[in-house]
Amino acid sequence: MAVTGLAARAPARGDLDPDDLVLEGPHTYRVHTRAYTDPAVFEAEMERIFSRTWVYIGHESEIPHPGDYKTAHIGRQPVIVSRGDGGEIHVLVNRCVHRGSVVCRSPRGTANYFRCPYHGWVYGKDGSLAGIAMREGDSGYSEHFAAPAGLMRVPSVATYRGLIFASFNPEVPSIEQHLGRAAFLIDNKIDQSPVGEIALRSDPYVVTYRGNWKFQAENIVDGYHFTFVHEGFIKLQERYGDSTGDFGVHRGRSMAEVRRIRARGVSWGCSQGHGLSAKPVDQIESLLDGRLGDYYRELLERHGPERLAWIAGSGAMSIFPNLGIIHHQIRVWRPLAPDLTEVTVYPYELRGAPDEINQGWLRSQERFYGPAGHGMPDDVEIFALNQQGLDASAVDWLILERGIDSERRDEVGDYEGLPSGETPQRAFWRRWKRLMAEG
Amino acid sequence: MGAYDPEVAGLTRDEAEAFVYREARLIDDLELEEWLRLFTEDGIYWIPIDDSKPVEWNTSLVYDPPLRREERVYHLLHVPFPAQAPRSRTVHLVSNVEVAAGGDDAFTVRSNQVVYEVRQGDFRQVGLGEVRPIVARVEHVLRRVDGELRIALKKILLIDREMSQSNLTFII
Ligand code: FES
Ligand SMILES: [Fe+2]
Repeated sequence: MAVTGLAARAPARGDLDPDDLVLEGPHTYRVHTRAYTDPAVFEAEMERIFSRTWVYIGHESEIPHPGDYKTAHIGRQPVIVSRGDGGEIHVLVNRCVHRGSVVCRSPRGTANYFRCPYHGWVYGKDGSLAGIAMREGDSGYSEHFAAPAGLMRVPSVATYRGLIFASFNPEVPSIEQHLGRAAFLIDNKIDQSPVGEIALRSDPYVVTYRGNWKFQAENIVDGYHFTFVHEGFIKLQERYGDSTGDFGVHRGRSMAEVRRIRARGVSWGCSQGHGLSAKPVDQIESLLDGRLGDYYRELLERHGPERLAWIAGSGAMSIFPNLGIIHHQIRVWRPLAPDLTEVTVYPYELRGAPDEINQGWLRSQERFYGPAGHGMPDDVEIFALNQQGLDASAVDWLILERGIDSERRDEVGDYEGLPSGETPQRAFWRRWKRLMAEG
Repeated sequence: MGAYDPEVAGLTRDEAEAFVYREARLIDDLELEEWLRLFTEDGIYWIPIDDSKPVEWNTSLVYDPPLRREERVYHLLHVPFPAQAPRSRTVHLVSNVEVAAGGDDAFTVRSNQVVYEVRQGDFRQVGLGEVRPIVARVEHVLRRVDGELRIALKKILLIDREMSQSNLTFII
């Protein structure tokens, strides 16, 4: 996709004091324009956020067998995620330690080793240096040559229910500590599978938008925008309802009904920076007696009525900094520049669920997401408008204060708020500010 | 696909070209109700990401059976939405048209198409006023219904179909 370069911008101030960028008070929450536009802020984010915390890089089902690999990014660092002989996962920087060529050129595949295309150095599935071409001889390497061990290994790798995370920070807290309350919502999503497993099977949608990455992190849990940005989609629901494949996902067939439905539920802003929103089902009886009754009864048996209400309900997550889960998809956003972001939507299937359900939810996502869908293109259009709007740097602040007086802080330091408030967004910025202040 | 013999196939290249040109013109003129009528009752408008995978297990950029196609056109013509406010303008260039006989009364027409697209409106704003080429191989499966050619399948293979896309919320 052709994209014009960064717009000319005022030179960044050398100092980066997060207190200048996020304004917090008892009834105040504002973020400065520069937090989205300043190249110096972006550079700092790559170091202070993307190199310090856990970053989502893939799902185990993408690399099921030894030798399977996929490529991914941790911020701007390209990595290979590879499955070793014992089933373990290696995360390797995709740069030859000889003179720096890219080693792996395919986005995914299966290989016994990785061979650098430049001078033929060979690395194992675990990244260890397995061979140096023409090593011996007078024009070869010294007998004192300090050969590197192999491709640079990303020091921290962890999985949670099949989701793979990695971090350049060797001291990063455990993945469970990082996920906190988000783990509950992830569990709810994945436990929609009768065997508690999801798999990425469909091709993903990939869209690039001309806006800052944080717009996507904020928006995936933004309850406020739906009836405005997606007003046209609601009109389609009025007319077509489930007949074109929504599969019961988007409830409400009029603006008033959609507002009423979306006013229910709860949102959380977690201390780790995650924004969550969820709406348990009111009456599980209607599901048990419905067309997919067998499926829901199986879940009921496994999890009991209280969990089933959450599992069968809707939920959306913005997991700091780059992962979203909504509908039946994993979404990843990748910062490319202050005003350029790539979003990848991976529909997942529920292992063990009836084909009708997996295919139905896939069609539903096809209708809303992707570059030709009836929902997502409107969101990314708004992100570009938002970025462009911020070129008007004469105005300093963005206001993120909805629901600030009604949110409550709980014992673990998470905030609980109402659905169309900005509790999830404020949680993002609180974590952002802490990490940026750590320098 | 066997060698093309117009006598056997019952469709000349002239007729095939005229059909594909007309379809392209209807799209570019936003005569989309008329465009809908070009399809057979069970016709499919399909923009795959990977056409070798079964559609039921894989997302497509667009997979529109009749009602979904009608919905897409209704959306475009009657419901304002941000990704088409302002609207796209398109121009289809069609070339390399080839015809081959299909089975029973069906013909496969292949063409190469370049669709230029631009968003109208204030060209000083981001995303507006930038002419973008969309490059594709297109396959039409045509049938005669009551003597008229109709589209049973229009399959659009974008050359960058599995890659990052921007706005495709218009008819290609
Ligand atoms: S750069 Fe890889 S072998 Fe030389
Ligand atoms: Fe949205």
